[in-house]
Formats: sequence, C-alpha cells, structure tokens
Amino acid sequence: MENRLLVLSRLFAAAPALAVRYRAIILLTLIMISVLLAWGVATRTRIDMSVDSFLDQSDPAITALNNFRTQFGSDDSLFLVYEARDGDVFSARSLKAVQALTEKLRDWRSLDASRYEADLSELDIIRRVQSITTLRVQRVDGDTLRSERLVPEAIPDNAAGLAAIRERAMAEDDYKLAFYSADGRFGALLIQTTFGAQPVDSYVPAVNAENISLGDAFSDFGSFDDTGSFELSFDESATVDEINFDVVDMGEYKSFYSAVSAVYADHESELTFYPAGNPSLMSWVFDVLQDMLWLAAGMIAIFVFLLRTLFRSFSAVVWSMVTILLSLLWSWGLMVWFGATLSTMVTLTVMLVFATGIAGCVHVMSAYFVFRQQSLDHETALSRSYEKTGLAIMVTSITTMAGVLSLAGTDLIPIQVFGVMSALGVFLAFVFTVVLLPILLSIWHPSAAAANSESKGLALMQRWQHLPLSVQITLMLIVTALMMWAVGVTVGLYLALIGLVTLGVLRWQNEILAACPGLVARRPWTILSVFAAIFAASVYGTSQVRIDSNVAELARADSAPRIAYNMVDEHMAGAQTIAVMIDTGISDGLMEPALLRAIETLQEHVIARYDEEVSRTYSLANIVKDTYRVMNQDNPAFYRIPDDAVTISQLLYLFNSANPEERRSLVSDDFSRSHITINAYNAGSYQYTRFFEELDQEIVSLFDPLKAQFPDLQVTVTGSVPLMMRAMDEIAQSQYSSFLIALSVISVIMIITLGSVQAGLISVIPNLIPALMTFGLMGLLGITLDTDTLLIAPVIIGVAVDDTIHFMTSYRLELIKTRDMKQALHNTLRDVGRAVMFTTMILGLGFAILGFSEYLGIAKIGIFGGLAIFMALLCDLLLLPALIMKLQPRFGLKGPIVGFGDTGRLVHEHA
Amino acid sequence: MNMLDRRIRFTTSFTGLVFSLFMASGLHAQETSDARQILEQVEDNQRAISDAAFNRIQLSSCRFGLQNNQITCAERARVKALESVSINTGPTKRDTRAISIVLEPAAERGIGMLSYTYDDPTQDNETWLYLSALGQVKRIASGNSDDDSEAASLFGSEFTTEDQDTGKLQDYTINMMGEGTESGRDVWLIETIPNEKRARASRYARTVQYVDKERLVVLRADMYDRSGREIKRLMASRIEQINGVWTPRSLTMMNLVANRLSNMAILEINTGVTIPENFLTPRTLTDVAFREAELQNIRSQVD
Repeated sequence: MENRLLVLSRLFAAAPALAVRYRAIILLTLIMISVLLAWGVATRTRIDMSVDSFLDQSDPAITALNNFRTQFGSDDSLFLVYEARDGDVFSARSLKAVQALTEKLRDWRSLDASRYEADLSELDIIRRVQSITTLRVQRVDGDTLRSERLVPEAIPDNAAGLAAIRERAMAEDDYKLAFYSADGRFGALLIQTTFGAQPVDSYVPAVNAENISLGDAFSDFGSFDDTGSFELSFDESATVDEINFDVVDMGEYKSFYSAVSAVYADHESELTFYPAGNPSLMSWVFDVLQDMLWLAAGMIAIFVFLLRTLFRSFSAVVWSMVTILLSLLWSWGLMVWFGATLSTMVTLTVMLVFATGIAGCVHVMSAYFVFRQQSLDHETALSRSYEKTGLAIMVTSITTMAGVLSLAGTDLIPIQVFGVMSALGVFLAFVFTVVLLPILLSIWHPSAAAANSESKGLALMQRWQHLPLSVQITLMLIVTALMMWAVGVTVGLYLALIGLVTLGVLRWQNEILAACPGLVARRPWTILSVFAAIFAASVYGTSQVRIDSNVAELARADSAPRIAYNMVDEHMAGAQTIAVMIDTGISDGLMEPALLRAIETLQEHVIARYDEEVSRTYSLANIVKDTYRVMNQDNPAFYRIPDDAVTISQLLYLFNSANPEERRSLVSDDFSRSHITINAYNAGSYQYTRFFEELDQEIVSLFDPLKAQFPDLQVTVTGSVPLMMRAMDEIAQSQYSSFLIALSVISVIMIITLGSVQAGLISVIPNLIPALMTFGLMGLLGITLDTDTLLIAPVIIGVAVDDTIHFMTSYRLELIKTRDMKQALHNTLRDVGRAVMFTTMILGLGFAILGFSEYLGIAKIGIFGGLAIFMALLCDLLLLPALIMKLQPRFGLKGPIVGFGDTGRLVHEHA
Repeated sequence: MNMLDRRIRFTTSFTGLVFSLFMASGLHAQETSDARQILEQVEDNQRAISDAAFNRIQLSSCRFGLQNNQITCAERARVKALESVSINTGPTKRDTRAISIVLEPAAERGIGMLSYTYDDPTQDNETWLYLSALGQVKRIASGNSDDDSEAASLFGSEFTTEDQDTGKLQDYTINMMGEGTESGRDVWLIETIPNEKRARASRYARTVQYVDKERLVVLRADMYDRSGREIKRLMASRIEQINGVWTPRSLTMMNLVANRLSNMAILEINTGVTIPENFLTPRTLTDVAFREAELQNIRSQVD
C-alpha cells in the first residue's frame, strides 16, 4: 500500500509537466466546452423552490397532488390582504378602492399600459379575481330566489347604507375571514391563477390533426318514438389527450407579482397591502436570490483579498479562482444540460466547491512558494509541490464526494441534484487543480523575486507597528467608518473585523503555530477534557434540535413575506390550504347522504379540535346544506344534509346549472370525486405532523364504516402542506443515513490512506465535532433545522475532513522521515498548520458573509458553516495533536520511533 | 372559496342555442358574401322557425379521446333527456317563453325550468325553477343587466348560456376571413369578436364559424379565449332538411381544456305546433296533471 501511494505521488509530480506539454490542445478543448456549458448556464438554468419539485413525479404524494390539479385546477393563488388606511374596509373610500382594483385586475387589458412600469401582459395568468365587491349572497324573498351583490355596484356614500353592507357581510360565515376580518379592518382579494396548470407552449390538441372526424355514434340515433333515449357508444381504449403542464419558473412568479403590485400601487393611498401566497413568496425568494449574487461576489472578493494577502502574488490568486470558478461553471452547466432543475441548495454546492477548491489551491501554492524560496525553478517547484500535496488533495476530493454522493440515494430530487452536482464540482476542482492550474501558471506565474521577497504584507505590517497607537486607532476608525458608509453598518463592521483578523493572523501566525505544540504538550488532558465537554454539550444540544420547516420563517422577522403571513394568520383565515381528496369509486357516489354526512362530521371535528391550526373548512356538504336551506324559505332547520339521494341530486343539479366552473372546481363531472378544503394558519412542520397523524386516524374512523357501500372508497390528505411534511420527513431520514454512510466511507478511506486503523479512527473525531457542534448549538439556541440547514453537515464534514487529511498525511510523511513523533508533530504544525489556518480564515470569513442574506436558510448556513470551519481548525491545531500525543499512533510503521515521553525514549512497535 | 361567487342563473331555451348558431335558411349563398349580412339573415330565420316549437332532446356528456382518427367517448356518457316547448311573444315577436322538463336521469326526473326572455335590454329575464324532489318552485331573480355573471351550464353540460345568446350581433365585429372546406363541404370562415362591453361577460374573445355556403348551416365553430387559445370547439352533424330548412340534429361541444364533450342530439324537432299561452306559466312546473294533459295534446299534434 505504501508503495502504491508513492507511485501515486510520483504520478502527481509528473502531472504538471505533462499538462504543460499538451497545453494548446487542453486549453482549446477546455475553452470550447466551457463556452458550450456557459451557454447552457445562461439559457437553461431553472431554479425551482416549490415543494412539489422535491419529490419525483411518480411519488404517491405527487400523484395525489397531480390528480387533484388535473381534476380541480391550479391551487396557486395570490392572497392579497389589505388594511384599510381609514380603519374600515366597509367605508365608502375603501370599498371604492377595492372595487376599482378588482376591476383593473379583471379587465387589465383596458388599462393604459404606458402608465405602468411592469409588463401588464403577465396578468394573463389570472384565472379569476374575487373580492368583497364581487361577492354574492343567496336570499329567499317570498317565492323568489335572489342572488344579490353583497356590495351594490353603486357604492353608497351614506352611513346607513354602508352600515347595512357591513351587517350583511358579518352575517356571512362563509365569507368572513376569507374576504374580510371579523373587526372589519382587513380585507383580501383572492387572485386565482393558472400557474402549474398551463399547457406547455408546444401543446396542440390531438383533435387539430388532419383527418380527425367526429365519431359516427354522435349522428347515429333514431327518433324519440323509436327508442326513447339512446346510449352513446364509448371506447375505454380511446386515447385521451394528455396535457403536459408548463413547469413554473420562479422568474414567472416574479414577473406576475411585479405586474400585480404595479396595479395595486394605484390604491396605496387608501389601502396598505400585505401579499401572501406562493406567487408573492416566490417572487420575494427570486429577489433575494438576485441579492445573493452580490453576497457571492462579496464572498469571492473576500477570498481574493485573503488569498492575495497570503500568496503575495496576483497570478496565484487569479489562477486559483479561475480553476475553482471553472469547476463551478462546468458542474452547473453539465447539470442544466442534463435537464436538472436547481434549487437554493446550489448555494451549498458553491460553498463546497470553493471549500475544497481553495483548500487544494492553498496547499499546492503554499508548498510551491516554500520550494521557490528554496531557490528551485518554477517547473521543479511545481512538480515537487504536486508530489507533496497531490495525494492529499485527491483523498480529500474523494472523501468529500463520498459525503455528498451519499445524499444522492434519497427520493428527494433537489437533494439528489445537490449531491450529484456537488460531487461533480469537487471532482472537477480536483481535475482542474491538477491539469489546468499548472498550464495557467506556465503562462503567468509568480516571479522568483516575488516568491523570495519578504512579504509585502509583512513589511507593511512592520511599518504599521511603528506607528503610534493613536494614529493606528484613528486610521482603523476612519477605514471602518468608510466601509460602514459604503456598505452599511453591519457589513462594514464585519469587513473591519475581517481586516483585523487578517492583520492579527499575519502578524502572529508564527507565534500561534509555535504555541500550539507547547500548549498541547503542557496540558493535553485539559485540552482533551475541554473538547470532551464540547462534545458532550453538542450531543446534548443535538438531542434537543427540533426538525421543523416553516415557510414564513425562511424570511427575517421584518421582511415583507413574514409580516404578510403574520397578518393573514392573525386577522384572516391563514394562507395555507390542505385538501382532503375523496374518491368514492362510483359515479354519483357523492350524492349519497351517508358519504356527505361523513364529510360533514370530519369538518366539524377538525374545526372543534384544531382551532389553533385550522380556521375554516369547506366542501360539497356546505353547498348541499346551504342550498337545501335556501330552497326551504331560509329555514335554519334545513341547514343539513337531506335524507335521500334524489333530493341531494336535485340540489346539486341546481348548483351545477348555476355555477359550472365552481362545481367543476369542487366535484368531478361524474360526481365520484370531491375534496374538502381546510384553511390553515401557518405553522411549522413539527406541529403539522402531529395534526396530520390525528387527521388520518379521524378519516379512518369516519370513512371505514362506509367501505361496505363504497368498496373502492379512498380518502387522502393532499396539498402543498402535506407534501412539505413528506419532504421534511424524507430529508431528515436521508440526512441521518447519509451522515452515517459518509462517516463510514470517510473512515475507511482514512484508514487506507493513513495505513492504520487507529490513526484512521483518531482522524474521524475532529471531523465529527464541528458538525455535531453546529447541530448542538442550534439545539441549545432553539434554532430549528429546516430543509436548508439539514444539509449543512456534508459541507462541514467536507471542509473538516480536508484539513484533517492534509494534517494526518503530512504527519505520517514527517514520521517516516524523522521517526520522531515530537519532531513530526512540530514540523506538521509548522508546514500544514499554516495552510490549514489560512484555508480556515479564508473559508470561514468568506462563508460568514452569507449570514447577511435576507433568506434565512442561506444566512444560517453561512453563519453556522463559518463557525464549524473555525471549530475544525481548533480541532486540527489542538485536539488532533493532543490525541496523537496521548494515543501515539504508529501509522503501521515498523521499527523504532521516538515517542512523546522523555527525550530519546523509544516507543516500540508493540509497546 | 368555492361558494364565494355563487349565483343562480338558468336558461331553458334550447331552441335558442340550436337556431342561433347553427341554422340559416332562405338565403342563397351566392347572393352575398358579406359576413354580417349572412349572420343577420341567420338570426331572422331563426326567429321565424323557433316559434311554437316542441323538441325532444338528449344531452350526453363524457370524457373524449381518439380512436382510429375518430372523436369518441372514452367512458360511459352521462345522459339527460328533456322535452322542451317554446313560443315567441311580444309586440315584435322578439321575446321568448320556453319550458324544459327533465325526463332522465331518474333522480332528476320532473325538474323543470321556465324562462321568459325579453328582447328589451332594460327588462330583466325571468326564470322559474321546479325541483321535483322538494316540490318547490322558485322564481330566480338575476338579470341580464347583470354584467359579470359567469355563463351558466345548460343542464350540467359543456353548453353554456353564452352559446345560446341571440340577437346581439350589433355587439360584435364580424369579419369574413375567407373560404375553405369543412366535413367535405365548401364553407365561409366568419370571425366574430365581441365589443368591449360584451367581452367582459364572455369567455370567448373570438369565435370562428364555418358556414356551409350551400345549405347555410354552421358546421363548426372554434372559440378562443383572451390568450388566443382555442378552448372550445363545436361540431354539427346529421344535417337534415326540416320543414324546408337545413338543420343539424346533432351538436357536439368539445371542451379542449378539460377534454370533455357534450353531445346534444335533437331526437325530435317540431315547429308550428299549437301551444296554449297558459302552458308557459309556473303552473306547468308544479301541476303534474295539468302538464301531462297539455303535453299529451302537443304530442298528439306531432305524432
């Protein structure tokens, strides 16, 4: 094994020269492929955040939702909540504003488009607009059935007229909370769309084909007298046109929402708007992702600044960044060319590729500069540095890939995409570091003078130290103030902190690294106890972590979506809908009194038991009861399900004739399938999961007795909320198993690379602690793990493992060379410690800037990722040496080795 | 949110639907190629023919598919059978009174609707509904003047009240698009586009009608929504000459969005029947004995 690894090292030593020899063809190929992939990135990138993108189309939960949408249409609506500025949605001023706005949204084609900045044609996606001014109330007046507007078209100006409207409205329980709050301060427009139910552009109905004619059966009937009615023949094997629906891109939500907000801006002097629902939330995420570009640019700027400070050479920095960015471009491009839809998890991929890429480049370049300082020429120095670091880079790439690939086994598509894309990116970063970086450096590389000169940074530092303290403080304050002025207070402070840390690390790097072995040697048990305590606290904290995804909590407390969701929950019916789909399996099954009664009972139980989660329910049973009462002189005694199917059938006949669209959105054409709509307040998945479990039990107890009458009866809970729960559950499970898989794969690779089971297991501990600490901290701070933060573990393990591998392989090489544990540890800390410290600083500070994201999923990842990386550094500088000192692993080396005890005492093979 | 914009609106006049869109007579194609004139002539003829009519109609609705290039039901159709009687009244015979009684299915048997439609736009149409299971008749108040009403379904089928609106040609821009063939016959392609006011209450932003040049029957109509997407298509078949007028006995409305169709088969079509004025009153809905006696009279005229 040892020999084989040496062969690999020699291969890495030969790689730069080989790459440079064929550089023309390699560069040309890479450029051509890069252009193609960049084209793909620019034209084919699709980012989807919706919950239904999580699961495969064949997943039962998706099948249920698709069945629902095919039957009942898109459930993607904008719920535009407003607060009347005069405190009364029933004032003439508020009503007129709502009436005008409703009219504009319904009839946007007649608006003067030049008055609006947004593209109004995006409003074409609107299917229906409802508001307090479009509502109608059924009333019986003697023998006359009236369907009157709740708000007359000519809105009255007198107090009595307005008070009458208010009184009528408050008596309508079906409208209250959906269109106006109980206190009359808030109202809402329901803007229904065709998002997710729009046929793809290329769709042409099959009946448009040539030679299609109407079947003869449609003309082939006798007269009334001959046959009475006739039965139209049918063929169940006929091909029914399958309509493929367009996948909704976040950009489309953004364009639609921009158009809506441009229109409602006309009425902001009368009403304050709080948009809730998927289109506005997705539009917000879209904006935040655009802002992410700035944060990403900031992150890269920090990387460049810190790398420049470390390498003192622009060529080294530029080529390192080119190598990493190209890896990202390729992995991104390949994924989109293969048709993958990306999610916000792409941020994690970017972080991971940067982490491994920067670690690789830093290790190669640090070694390179050391060799150049030893007066070696460029080619030899490069060859030697690849010989020294190539193996470690390869192993770190493999372990990181193993970590993320273990996620690809899950059923959740965005996580599969994340796993594959990250593994691809890490692999490409490795390949490009070995093949492309030497070529680039052959074109432009640090001069011998630059490599040898005393660091400009250090020289600057020395000059800085000679300045009087007052001048230093003044200068620092001025720079901080300037940064705060340029980028805002918090970011400015953060940048100042980066500057300070950099100055400190540059100034005291030798002291820090030199102090570590001493500290470890003096107090190994103290260090081990501290880490044991951290470990124990992390384990406890992790046990306290709550896995909970909450849509509104993706945004900061003061952000628009969060405020809107709070408003909707507090004053209106809540913005979440859950559907209970009922398939009786029999035509006209829904006309059976027993079935409608079961539906009615389920609704009553849900409302009575879950008033914290549920605001209102609605179903066909409501329609039947309401119509029955209306047909019986508004007598409340008839607000019930009739006892016979014929009466129900006729009441539904009335409903069907009156409102076919509405009927179709509630019950299938053959009256075999229908659904109960449950309006729910926003809550975390934790709370919902409990609710769904009980709801399922309730359904079983109410509907199972009907199985004798309806053998094929199926009642399923569906909608975006249950889907989210299903996804969360899947993520949590896949995360747990992939964490274990990654850990075992990494351990095996470490054992093989380090040639010793003991050493392999020792190196697992510093990898485990940063990840555990992150979850532990979240548990202790009461921060919930959601779909985004659950995936932080592979990134952390990836980064932590990288540093540990570099550390351990270097220690092993030093041990072979010196056969003295103390010396080997000292040399390792000196050489690798510096590279590890710089990588940590670069990545930790770079990632932490993501903490400024408005999107909390990403912000949390940035902050906790940064923290974990610093923890990993402490593990490598203190814990690992302490473990090595106490356990004295021999890495399978035979023969005498000087141990850590008294100088000169030999640690024997079987001691 | 489902009941939120509920209203009740009914229609009973099938004759309106049948004649307004799909029949034309007494006009020879060669005389003119002016699109508006063709459609106006259709309306005039329709009024002359829909008076004193007694029809027996069957509505069949199903999900449709293709088999051997033929459009066919992909499932057993849901069937409704009706009898319908109508007369023209008013000073210019431009108002209509019509009654329809459901014969099938059994659960809906006896449901009846009576409607008075007035040509005068200021006068609200009147509808009475009788639900046999409840033994109740209700007058449904909901006017034409009411703008934003969704078109109501005719007996739960793909046909809507909008498909049977007549006498509103002045509200449309009418264009002759050209000539072509449909079902092997020479046709004119005539496009109708509603004006702004009418468009607000309509699902159709544009309709293209295929008018048989020789028989002056609309053989097909394509209905487009505001996005320019064809949402419905109507096909006429079994075109026969009845009382000297070419008439389609089978009308099939395809909903291209839901892949469902409704076929209206006119099992019997009789015009010029003597119908007592008091038959077209609410009494006919509730008084089964009266209704049966009068219907017997009418049936004996046509059998």
